[in-house]
Amino acid sequence: MKETAAPPAPSSVRVAGRSPYVAIALAWLIPGLGHYYLGRRRTAAAFAAIVVLTFVAGLSFQGRLYSIEQGQPLTILATFAVWGAGLLNIAARLFTENPGGSILSVTYEYGCAYLLTAGLMNLLLILDAWDIATGRKR
Amino acid sequence: MTMLALVPTDHFLIMTLYALLVSAFFAILWREDGRERWKLFGVLVAALVGGGLAVAWLMYPFPK
Repeated sequence: MKETAAPPAPSSVRVAGRSPYVAIALAWLIPGLGHYYLGRRRTAAAFAAIVVLTFVAGLSFQGRLYSIEQGQPLTILATFAVWGAGLLNIAARLFTENPGGSILSVTYEYGCAYLLTAGLMNLLLILDAWDIATGRKR
Repeated sequence: MTMLALVPTDHFLIMTLYALLVSAFFAILWREDGRERWKLFGVLVAALVGGGLAVAWLMYPFPK
């Protein structure tokens, strides 16, 4: 019977001198900052540009920064997703005139999708930073 | 001219921009090699834009 080669084992070496907890905290605060902290500067810049552009586009399309509403259980998930964008979300809530978006705008639904996607992207970046910092991903 | 006037309202343009951003994100996240990244980016853009157009075409007989 022919033996198949085993896939290479993932590196379990942590990134030297870098705490996984600091990495995920930075990753949540500012998109890409966790990767920058872990020494992946080019990908950090690319991730930051993509997430920030998606979030700003969502705001300009007059999407909604969700908050939890009674009797609307899906708003719990949407709020969790939007809060994934970290400081972007907080700054937008503080400094935009209408965090609830404009439901009458033709681009409202698109704006919501963009804002949710930006938050979810950053949540994935947090998980990715954790995997890199703990050596699960090279 | 206000900034609001610069925001596109064309559905196809907004959908394509979304596809480009999402595809770039996952191509960088899932692939390390530059060539492989571009390949995945192309596949994802084609799938998202093509899928969107296909669904729109299928829904065309059912406007309401």
